[in-house]
Amino acid sequence: MSGAMNDSDIMIEVVDLHKHFKDLHVLKGVSTVVTRSEVVAIMGPSGGGKSTFLRCLNRLEEPSSGHIYIEGVDIMAPYIDINRVRTEIGMVFQSFNLFPHLTALENIKLAPVHVRKISEKEADERGMALLDKVGLVDKAHVYPEQLSGGQQQRVAIARALAMQPQIMFFDEPTSALDPEMIGEVLDVMRTMAKEGMTMMVVSHEMGFIREAADRILFLADGLIVEEGTPDRIFSDSRHQRTKEFLSKIL
Amino acid sequence: MSATPLLSDTEKKFIRRHPSWSLWLRRPLNVFFTFALLAAYAAFLLPDKETSPPFWLYFSIALFILLALGSSGNVLADPDKPEVLKMGVALLLIALLCWLFYRYSGAQWDRLREFFFNWEKLKGNWWLLRNGLGVTLLLAFISALGSVVVGLLVAVLRSFDSRTLNLFLIAYVDIFRSVPMIVIMVVLFFALPFAGISLGSITTTVVALSLGYGAYASESFRAGIESVHAGQIEAARSLGLSRWQTIRMIILPQAVPVVIPPLTGNLVAMLKDTAVASLVAAPELLKRARELYTSKTNPTPLVAAALIYLAVLIPLVRVVNVLENRLKR
Repeated sequence: MSGAMNDSDIMIEVVDLHKHFKDLHVLKGVSTVVTRSEVVAIMGPSGGGKSTFLRCLNRLEEPSSGHIYIEGVDIMAPYIDINRVRTEIGMVFQSFNLFPHLTALENIKLAPVHVRKISEKEADERGMALLDKVGLVDKAHVYPEQLSGGQQQRVAIARALAMQPQIMFFDEPTSALDPEMIGEVLDVMRTMAKEGMTMMVVSHEMGFIREAADRILFLADGLIVEEGTPDRIFSDSRHQRTKEFLSKIL
Repeated sequence: MSATPLLSDTEKKFIRRHPSWSLWLRRPLNVFFTFALLAAYAAFLLPDKETSPPFWLYFSIALFILLALGSSGNVLADPDKPEVLKMGVALLLIALLCWLFYRYSGAQWDRLREFFFNWEKLKGNWWLLRNGLGVTLLLAFISALGSVVVGLLVAVLRSFDSRTLNLFLIAYVDIFRSVPMIVIMVVLFFALPFAGISLGSITTTVVALSLGYGAYASESFRAGIESVHAGQIEAARSLGLSRWQTIRMIILPQAVPVVIPPLTGNLVAMLKDTAVASLVAAPELLKRARELYTSKTNPTPLVAAALIYLAVLIPLVRVVNVLENRLKR
């Protein structure tokens, strides 16, 4: 989106977010602020609540308590149409989740046509432009099962972008990919980051994070244990949990 | 004998060995002689029925049957024999057993024909059966629509996972799946009038079949809906699609192809169950046949009805089979 760019614009504000799964206390009071065009990487041990945190932010999981403000609007308020909120937040999943009964282009067009109510023709144009952006124009009329993992994930990114969201969430976007396909997906994400998209990325791709992320949230045991720039976290982490974790994956 | 391939000692150890006499019997000429021998046995050695043979002669019949089964089995088990020959042997065996039954059973074939296959009795009355078939097909068609609508509705409502709602939906499904169709129909037809509701026989049948088979259909639909991966729903919702849009555009298009084979199977079973409607005097095929059976005092109309059911249902059963195989691919 063009318009007045102001680095202090607050896109997401999370205040004391808690999530229980029955007896399991997964998020124990997470608070943070994400500004416009910021790329935030979320790292941490598995079971630490990274995915749950991200999924709470567009209420795919219903938070147990706390407040979430998207562009200043409290999306936990009872009068909020969550479907409307979700159109502003694109989401990319670990397992791609393309719709298998639709072609790549139809996957991309579905939400713009039926939610944004734009015309078929305009959706076609937008869809082809996005496929061009992720380098898959020739796969427009191909069904997901005929695409490789990396191609599927790039279509999934294009599908999310087709709604022209203000924010993009990535939930371990490269974890299910064969090593040789990770690069093509990260390239697309890098481009988006350069273009000023606000992004929250659950990932352990150190190279990508070092290069593209403005900030790392280190989440363990349902809390933000440490946060800071990638350079600072990778070279000089102060918390024991962070040190242990990084020593294992570096 | 065919040329023995070069085999290592280990391979030789694992070769399947047949007794040499069974291989000898499988030679074409010997097969021919075996069956010639059997034919001679049948013609000259088997006891005559009329003369009420001594007890030991029954052993010769048993021996004959054993020999016939054995020699046929030897051919059927031979991988080198052509399928045409095997089919011929199988048909021969069946014909042989039928012939033995015909020869030694105490059946009164003339009376059987006169009672059950007396087509004269049906002359001028075929139109009744034809009308009956029409009513049967109509009942089946409307009830099929009804049960699919009921089943889809129940399955979609259940997918909302509302605890209170589910309690009632599960109660409905379980009750209608455990009560026999005949009981549902009788209750609707004979008990409801006391509650001030009287449905005609056609309406009763349609309602009973729709509710009964709707319960089964809902289970099929539910299985189909649950076969759609949870990630599909999350992806749809994250794009801003509403719950209803997600069901309509994402879940059902993926669930329906999975559901069609079991659903079609249910509908075929339902077509058969329309016969129960003859109990509440709906003028369908079986009811018509029973009327004719009473008025002509002859069961041929029932046999005719059976043949008509067969002619209608066999193709449908085949269609279900084809659909199931297509799904597997």
